[in-house]
Amino acid sequence: MSSNPGVELKGGMYTFMSLKLHTSDMDVIDAKLADKIQQAPTFFKDTPVVIDLTVLEKMESEINTLLLLECVRRHNLIPIVASTIDKSSPMAQSIALPLIDGGVSRSIKEKTSSNTAEGSSEKPDETASSTIDVSPDVDISLSREIEYVVKTPLVIDKPIRSGQQVYARDTDLIVMGPIGPGAEVIADNNIHVYGPLRGRALCGVSGNTSSRIFCQSLEAELVSVAGNYRMLETIPEELRGKPAMVWLDKDRLNIEPL
Amino acid sequence: MTKTIVVTSGKGGVGKTTTSASIATGLAKRGFKTVVIDFDVGLRNLDLIMGCERRVVYDLVNLVNQEASLHQTLIKDKRIENLYILPASQTRDKDALTIEGIARVMHKLKKSEFDYIICDSPAGIEKGAKMALYFADEAIVTTNPEVSSVRDSDRILGILQSESKRSKMNEEPVKEHLLITRYNPARVKEGQMLSVDDIVDLLAIPLLGIIPESPSVLDCSNAGKPVILDDESAAGQAYSDAIDRLLGESKPHRFMEAPKKGFLSRLFG
Repeated sequence: MSSNPGVELKGGMYTFMSLKLHTSDMDVIDAKLADKIQQAPTFFKDTPVVIDLTVLEKMESEINTLLLLECVRRHNLIPIVASTIDKSSPMAQSIALPLIDGGVSRSIKEKTSSNTAEGSSEKPDETASSTIDVSPDVDISLSREIEYVVKTPLVIDKPIRSGQQVYARDTDLIVMGPIGPGAEVIADNNIHVYGPLRGRALCGVSGNTSSRIFCQSLEAELVSVAGNYRMLETIPEELRGKPAMVWLDKDRLNIEPL
Repeated sequence: MTKTIVVTSGKGGVGKTTTSASIATGLAKRGFKTVVIDFDVGLRNLDLIMGCERRVVYDLVNLVNQEASLHQTLIKDKRIENLYILPASQTRDKDALTIEGIARVMHKLKKSEFDYIICDSPAGIEKGAKMALYFADEAIVTTNPEVSSVRDSDRILGILQSESKRSKMNEEPVKEHLLITRYNPARVKEGQMLSVDDIVDLLAIPLLGIIPESPSVLDCSNAGKPVILDDESAAGQAYSDAIDRLLGESKPHRFMEAPKKGFLSRLFG
């Protein structure tokens, strides 16, 4: 066919696992990595990973990148690129991988997380289903990093009837009309409801604990944030039928008037 | 252009057949060539309410299976010019209906230049109900002022949006009308029934009419006469108003207040 261009060079956004190093001790890295991978060997097998050196750079520590890559490959991960703040640092120069700028994405993330603190904006869903726990006492972490992409919210301008279910994958759900009793609205991010909310609303179903539900008239049978739910009976009487926000404070589901 | 209107509700016993009979009769009375189809295959009630049960020879299933012609199956109403009844079969079940078969029937009716096809849906949300609403251009959702009936109506509205031909073909959505039947203002006042405002608020579709609870509905059903033909009764007048609104006229809703008791009824009532 004459319309076949042969090749195309295009920009694209892809999701990769990143290996963030919090230590330069190869023995610790080796042991922690083995421990992580043993939790889900098939999930990690032959997975491309971004080697994130930014924490080490901040700590001004050095690492033998040759040994590091060898260790990563031994665990059946495929290092594809290194993320650094300073491309001219000896560590960045020594690693046999292409480099990407780890400083830029960081500043975007810091900006968005401060927005979330104000309760107003989206946040990249770093805690998606496959996330491996990133507790501060762990020296290294394997976390699934999702590029910060502005995804259009799912907007429903018709009533959602009893028995209907709407799911906004990886994004916000905005419902203009009423949500009937027995209807279910689900989103990976925030849910905004401008009609009366009489059915069930579940936000952050893939684990986004910072997602919230905003509604004009709270009459829901059930509200849930990242799996923490409350039924209508436990919703204080004075909040029912009123504009309200539902959010998660640590493990406590809060409902506040707007 | 033929318009197909389904009368549906989800819940049973709320007045679908009574409504289908009166709406079809009302439209025919205003000069539109109208047919009312009983989709409740296996139960067959419409012919009783229309008072033509003794004249049923062939039925919808025969027509779908091409065992009888349209001309043989349609029953012409004896009271109203332009009004025809297509009865259901009592000996078969809903599995006898297929979309292709119904499509053929609809096509024949359109070719016979009917202005309105009224589809009387069976209760429930199963095959029979889905068949009845599949070809609808408009829907009259019949609701009693009671929580479970309103909930079921909400459910059927969702099905109309997702399972009708219009929704599947991505055409303009089915036009929805709310018809509240068995409305008793006195009981609403006592808080025993949902009010019109509550129901409209819950279902969020335009209100076509409010049919007050009236003994004449049962009397007419027993007599095989659509209640709209009883000009004296409140229910008959309310159906007549609903027809006007269906045809695009705007009319204030009546029968929302409890009738004031007169001197005599206060004395004896």
